[in-house]
Amino acid sequence: MAMRNAYVDQFPSEARLISAAFWSSFLALAIGGSLGLVQALHRTDYLRFIDSVDYYTVLTAHGVLLAITFTIFFLVGIFTWAVTTSLDRGLEDLRFSWAWYAMMVVGTVLVGVSILGGVVDSIDMQADVLFTFYAPLQAHPAFYVGLVLFVVGTWLAGADWFRTWWAWRGENPDERIPLPTFMTLTTTLFWYLCTLGVALSILVLLLPWSMGIVDSVNPLLSRTLFWYFGHAVVYFWLMPAYMMWYIMLPKLSGGKLFSDPLARVVFVLFLLLSTPTGIHHQYLDPGIAEGYKFIAMTNTMFLLLPSLLTAFTVVASMEHGARQRGGTGYLGWLKALPWRDPVFTGMALAGLMFAAAGFSGMINAGMNINYLVHNTWWIVGHFHLTVGTAVALTFMAAAYWFVPQVTGKQLWNRSLALGQVLLWFVGMTFMSNAMHRSGLFGMPRRTAEPQYQGFNFEPAAGTVGEINAQVALGAALLTIALALFLLNMVMTTIGGESDAIPDNTYAGTLSGPEDAPVVLDNLKLWTAIATVLVVFAYTLPLASIIDAGGLFGPGIEGFQLTIGIDPAIVLESVREVMP
Amino acid sequence: MRISPGALLVVIAVLVPFVVEFRTALSWFGVELSVLESVALAGVLVLGLLVWAMWPQNGGEMGSADSN
Amino acid sequence: MASATEKQETDRVREIGHDEYDPVGTAILIGIYFLILVLLWLFMYFVEFLGNGPTVVGALQPVLLGVGLA
Ligand code: HEM
Ligand SMILES: [Cu+2]
Repeated sequence: MAMRNAYVDQFPSEARLISAAFWSSFLALAIGGSLGLVQALHRTDYLRFIDSVDYYTVLTAHGVLLAITFTIFFLVGIFTWAVTTSLDRGLEDLRFSWAWYAMMVVGTVLVGVSILGGVVDSIDMQADVLFTFYAPLQAHPAFYVGLVLFVVGTWLAGADWFRTWWAWRGENPDERIPLPTFMTLTTTLFWYLCTLGVALSILVLLLPWSMGIVDSVNPLLSRTLFWYFGHAVVYFWLMPAYMMWYIMLPKLSGGKLFSDPLARVVFVLFLLLSTPTGIHHQYLDPGIAEGYKFIAMTNTMFLLLPSLLTAFTVVASMEHGARQRGGTGYLGWLKALPWRDPVFTGMALAGLMFAAAGFSGMINAGMNINYLVHNTWWIVGHFHLTVGTAVALTFMAAAYWFVPQVTGKQLWNRSLALGQVLLWFVGMTFMSNAMHRSGLFGMPRRTAEPQYQGFNFEPAAGTVGEINAQVALGAALLTIALALFLLNMVMTTIGGESDAIPDNTYAGTLSGPEDAPVVLDNLKLWTAIATVLVVFAYTLPLASIIDAGGLFGPGIEGFQLTIGIDPAIVLESVREVMP
Repeated sequence: MRISPGALLVVIAVLVPFVVEFRTALSWFGVELSVLESVALAGVLVLGLLVWAMWPQNGGEMGSADSN
Repeated sequence: MASATEKQETDRVREIGHDEYDPVGTAILIGIYFLILVLLWLFMYFVEFLGNGPTVVGALQPVLLGVGLA
């Protein structure tokens, strides 16, 4: 038996840190995912064991725990792996690294407890503000403080990766940045750029407002600052999944990455375009002139370019692997791919679902078509394909490879893992298809009881009952898949050490970095251009929003959803809208 | 087997979205399949797939296909 | 660094270098994907525009009115 050369053998201390990050992420996935089932059954009226008034608390927990906690804890693990493996050196100072991890944990606990306060009477807090947390919904200050700690934790993690790279560069002044590190650094850079917006929004507006220091904020400003961050965060989730597709899938398929230069171009494009597109989430916001929305739409359409480049490069790399494994024919090579391997199959199916999401995304991105689906369940169907599958399924599949790497323990059950990724795919097919279709006939998102007196939805195809059944079925399958995933992770971790762990490697390239123009590695240049684009896209809209409503807005009082709604106020607001 | 068991499983899984979307698409042309009919359709497709996959690959028509 | 890039894969039956590799299968798959996108796009026209009447944005409306299109 040859010497084992897994990640844990090369970087034992870093492996422990990554393990901790993974487990934080899995915990969030377990809680958040279960709440997803609660929502699905509640909305479709199959099982309503929570009070509809508490629905927003559950929805906030689901959104925050999955879209923010699960994804980001996992990706800091992946990025740490990517930097250390590709630079072949450990982190500079593990105490610093544990400090940023601890900061993220403390932030998450604060956020979690304040959300929990919405349903637990003994906790005197609430944060029923959804993961989009802009005004006029108002949370307890602890929620915002927790978010700040979490984000600052990720900033320090980014600094850690940069430090490691600087140290490496000092010793290797003439080498190109290895691809995985390049991907990590470009992603970190746009993360810094976009989180600036949300940091401003929290520190200048939301936190002082929830502490009673100012008694009103401009809600449109807080929305715009949120979405300034809110689109880029999508790419923060997606870039690590892309990284997996670029540097793991080709290897798993038995081939090489088709083109290193193309991969670099894609990541540079995301650095440039992630942030100046946020207004495309606000097509229906009054108070933002159409011209600015049009600019955001144009930038968004440019984002199709790196996405399509990725589709091409990744599929071509898989084809290369399949042909090296003996595959032939125009499409017959598909049969030669390692479908038995859950890591490969999970990532490939995640990519396939992402391609499907590409279409609904193009619908969302078009300014006037967006009006048709805005705030309907179509949107929820769309992002369960993107973050809920392209990202989540890629991460779960990746975990089947990474957890053995960082623990030195063999995956407990490979067949179960294959079944799990297939089940997630099938479950999401049912749930997401039904959500998209409900959106087309106007079924709203974020509603506990989407049924109304004197009004019936008119589906173009099928019945509402049947669509609801499909959602519930999909959600049930997804929850089973989730449980199987967690079971496999737990059993793997409590299992014994194994010598049969593959070496810690990633894909080689057909066309390497020597073919990539050196300017691609000029991170300062790209950051400068990205900043200029953001200034172009946001200065005028922000100026006109502040001009119209002021920083602290026209007397907007905080809205706290579950702290006893006064019936008199409800009646009054109902009267306002009734003729 | 003409295809590995792993690949067969994947093909069956990928069939699901096709059946689901096919059903939606058909209804736009006024053809409404009931849930049972859709399940039956899926069953037939899976069965066909299994038969195709299991059918012995005799050298005659495909030449050296089994050397792969 | 190159040391960590993948070296040898067991199931490999041949080595295909950069110059002899021609990703024709990829081209076909991407072609099919584009075809689906185009079909869905056409389908969207029926859902959106025939279903609800066009949503014309901002300054375009007077222009269209002016030339008698709307
Ligand atoms: C067990 C699997 C899952 C189920 C059953 C599920 C179910 C749901 C349902 C029914 C909603 C809609 C609630 C509404 O509009 O009223 C929802 C919203 C959402 N889900 Fe999931 N989901 C699952 C997994 C995920 C994953 C893996 C992610 C992300 C990584 C995710 C992210 C979100 C987000 C961000 C929202 C929007 C929350 C909001 O509107 O504020 N979900 N989910
Ligand atoms: Cu967006």
